[in-house]
Amino acid sequence: MKTEKTLSPELQKKCQRYRISSSEYHKISDLLGHEPQGIEWALFSALWSEHCSYKSSKIHLRKFAYKNLSVLESEGENAGVVDLGFGEKIAFKMESHNHPSFIEPFQGAATGVGGILRDIFTMGARPIALADYLCFGDIEAPRMKSLVQGVVSGISSYGNCVGVPTVTGQTVFHSSYNNNILVNAMAVGLITEDMKMARSKASGVGNWVVYVGARTGKDGVHGASMASESFDSNNEAKKPNVQIGDPFFEKLLIESCLEILDQDLVVAMQDMGAAGLTSSSFEMASKGQVGITLHLDQVPMRDSTMTPEEILLSESQERMLLICKPENFDKIQKVFAKWDLEAQKVGEVKSERTVDIFWKNEKLVSIDPDLLVENAPRYDREFQKWNSPNKTNLKASTLSDLSKNHPLDFITKAPQSMNFCSREWIYKQYDQRVGARTCKDAKSSVAFLQLPSNRGLSITLGCRPSVMRMDAFIGGQDSVFFPALQMAVKGAQAVAVTDCLNFGNPEKINIMSEFVASVEGIAEAAKAIDAPVISGNVSFYNETQNQNITSTPATGVVGLRKDLENIPADQFTTQGQVVYWLRAPWVIGLHSELLTENKQMNIEAKPHFEGRLDSEVVAAWIRDLSLFVNENDIAVSKVVGDGGLFESLRRMSLGDFGFHGHQKFFETVNFEKIYSETFYEVILAVDISKQFDFQKSIEEFCQRHQSQVYEIGWAQEGKFEIPGLMEVKTEELIERHQKGWGVL
Amino acid sequence: MKWGIRIMPREVLLDSQGRAVEGLLKQNHFQLSTCRVGRYIELDLQETTEENAKIEIKKMLDFALYNPLIETYTIERLNL
Amino acid sequence: MKIGITRFPGTNCDYDVEKMVQHFSHTPVWLWHQDKFDIQSVDAVIIPGGFSYGDYLRCGALASRSPVMSSVREFAEKGKPVLGICNGFQILCESGLLPGALTRNEGLKFIDDWSSLEVDNPNSFFGSRLQKGQTLNLPIAHGEGRYWIPAEGLKKLHDHQQIWLKYKKNPNGSMNDIAGVMNEKKNVVGLMPHPERALALWMGGQDGMEFL
Repeated sequence: MKTEKTLSPELQKKCQRYRISSSEYHKISDLLGHEPQGIEWALFSALWSEHCSYKSSKIHLRKFAYKNLSVLESEGENAGVVDLGFGEKIAFKMESHNHPSFIEPFQGAATGVGGILRDIFTMGARPIALADYLCFGDIEAPRMKSLVQGVVSGISSYGNCVGVPTVTGQTVFHSSYNNNILVNAMAVGLITEDMKMARSKASGVGNWVVYVGARTGKDGVHGASMASESFDSNNEAKKPNVQIGDPFFEKLLIESCLEILDQDLVVAMQDMGAAGLTSSSFEMASKGQVGITLHLDQVPMRDSTMTPEEILLSESQERMLLICKPENFDKIQKVFAKWDLEAQKVGEVKSERTVDIFWKNEKLVSIDPDLLVENAPRYDREFQKWNSPNKTNLKASTLSDLSKNHPLDFITKAPQSMNFCSREWIYKQYDQRVGARTCKDAKSSVAFLQLPSNRGLSITLGCRPSVMRMDAFIGGQDSVFFPALQMAVKGAQAVAVTDCLNFGNPEKINIMSEFVASVEGIAEAAKAIDAPVISGNVSFYNETQNQNITSTPATGVVGLRKDLENIPADQFTTQGQVVYWLRAPWVIGLHSELLTENKQMNIEAKPHFEGRLDSEVVAAWIRDLSLFVNENDIAVSKVVGDGGLFESLRRMSLGDFGFHGHQKFFETVNFEKIYSETFYEVILAVDISKQFDFQKSIEEFCQRHQSQVYEIGWAQEGKFEIPGLMEVKTEELIERHQKGWGVL
Repeated sequence: MKWGIRIMPREVLLDSQGRAVEGLLKQNHFQLSTCRVGRYIELDLQETTEENAKIEIKKMLDFALYNPLIETYTIERLNL
Repeated sequence: MKIGITRFPGTNCDYDVEKMVQHFSHTPVWLWHQDKFDIQSVDAVIIPGGFSYGDYLRCGALASRSPVMSSVREFAEKGKPVLGICNGFQILCESGLLPGALTRNEGLKFIDDWSSLEVDNPNSFFGSRLQKGQTLNLPIAHGEGRYWIPAEGLKKLHDHQQIWLKYKKNPNGSMNDIAGVMNEKKNVVGLMPHPERALALWMGGQDGMEFL
């Protein structure tokens, strides 16, 4: 490497404006053979941004290399695709829209949904489900209530109108998100046997490059590099960057794109997401190992004063770029006209491997797309090997402090916390049934959709930020294992995983260390349960004024169930159902806010834990449990999650039937088991007529897996009761559970 | 020739948006008796005389722009 | 039987209604919004839900002015059966084929839920097996489902037994808990709930089976 000259003040200024570091400036000059000129600045700025290039994460994302035979497409495409057999394929992906949603919550969240949907139908899949992973700050923090309302109504307005049901989600509140909320949207699409999968690789010299969808305006110019930058208090000034979404237009785009694919008129297709036309055109050319010409003056514009640079970087929504044979263009135009949309030729594919950009016949630039895509910088940011700083012996003092609180307090006070009350206020605003495939909706712990083959497609989201605060490696494992286990207790098996890795500033060693640890945790767990990571997104720089968010590697897990019959319920459904507690205490810890920072109950403890999760062992347990559930007529099931056993029993009692605990059991069991959060334990209930068979097979199961099972009570109508300890009506529990949202 | 059309919910109808905005303003100690929320449409017409323009606008209103069951309208000439 | 299903830009329950029609072994016939159709070519018409024209201007307003709706009007005037579901109901009200209007939910928010309904007056074509007073459970999903009609109109609805379905627990502030109405001749009907989303136990209920 040449010694780097210091840059002149003007150059430094320019680098700053385009967010290019001085070493990157030198690298660009080397690659080009000259100093960057004119539009080249904008191109490198966009494509070498963290958002487009994954420069800080790429070397670690290789750890997701594990794939199995069912994976048809993964990281190289807009979304991963898995073959489910029976001629059914599923495309899915999750993506963040954190910064735009903090600036303008309604439009930020809405366009987040729009963007992820385009990633899905770009693959030729019909979007059939949406899910949202949301993290908000303390509800009393400035702007927080309006952020919550804005984000939820943004998702609701876009998803409902575009006609894709929102079937599940996760919403977390914690002060670390006070100045940087997380809005991650996941979309799932279905490709049936009669549909054609599409790809984004440009090919065929002489083929046309066609622009379809909405006209280009100045919205979102420089959005990609904005997302790669930490926040400052001056966000108001960034308002013009926010893009406006139009779900109606997107719906037309979905129908027309699927129609041209159906008629086999398309060679390749790519949506214009971050960095708009720039990233879509360069990536298509680079992946296809071809060159293209691009005539910017031919791009349909909303605003005639736009400069070439603005056209290249605009992030106007609802636009696609496609490659077609010239003879098919008329037919494509006809389909788009039918849906009241425009299709315009903007360039051609050529053999010489350069992207040539023209403005009114003047060549602005001719550049090898690989310089921008393949040669983007890769940083091996400094990190430390994970040493689990919160691993310690479970402190007896903390547990006895906890046990000083009466269990009734846990049952009745939990929903006073935003993290433990009902989410009905949110999901009632989402259309959960459009498409007529929904079997289990957002009220359920796992969503189920009907596949054409009558099998059940299960969807659930993972990552518990409180577990991440406890330990980043276990947090990563748990981001896969917890949702997979939730599916297992419903008789489904996880098939594949997508992720959305939300982290703070990667240039800080502690953040990067957590990133690496959790990526390794996710990768190890995904491989162990044979559910490969097939798509994903990284969002760094979730940092405001030096405060970083809780590292939050959100996941979306998709699974399969043989049918939709007799899926175990989340709540007790019949008088006398016998309730069992199945435990495999590999890790015992305290992490949730209920047990570590509960002001109402004077609890204050640092998250800590003992033990470790052996991924192979946990995965075998989860796999076997799924089979066990299917073979044993389980009526009700729940994974014990945040808050431990009492909290789970409370949630299972939010229907007509409550829990009646065996007095003896609760008098003799030790606190550690009850007041800790154990990885992993589940509650299963069977109808009384099935009790005998169940006991026999659960004992076999426990022997095989060195787990313990306890019969702890039964379901009884109308109340939650442990004789001698507590009694509360289910009506009251339901009312308290709903009331949590009263603050909004 | 530019025209503005103001469309308001009829008085007899509960204006749920207006009620919500009113509530919010009052909660924040603004002094007002009522608030109603409608919509505003701007049209740029080729017509040269005001009379013809009004006839055209009336046709558009009847065609789709307002629903007489639940809304009323007023029109005004802009950029005179 | 051939059942025409209209498609507007933004219609999104079209395939769901198609599945429902096929479920009853009828033949679905797509009716594109820009085309008029031969009113002899179908035996009944269903206008599915969704967000026709993005709900812009007013729900159903733009769709109700389309060429296909002039054929639907002609079809309805001949006394043939027409059903509007959700946005389809809004379109029928906007086109004047059904009385009244559907306005913003009282709580201003979109509502997705299961709702309990009571049959006020049965309809002879859609849901002919339903009995007066019968209870049904169907999903609702709408932001503008608050039915409104002037006092004299409401009186007429009562006098002519045009109220089809009522909510047992009013979710949106609808006048007189109205969830569905009929025209005077009873051949045009509209409802806010979605029968096509309740056709099997796995969907959470199968009361939608009563509607064809």
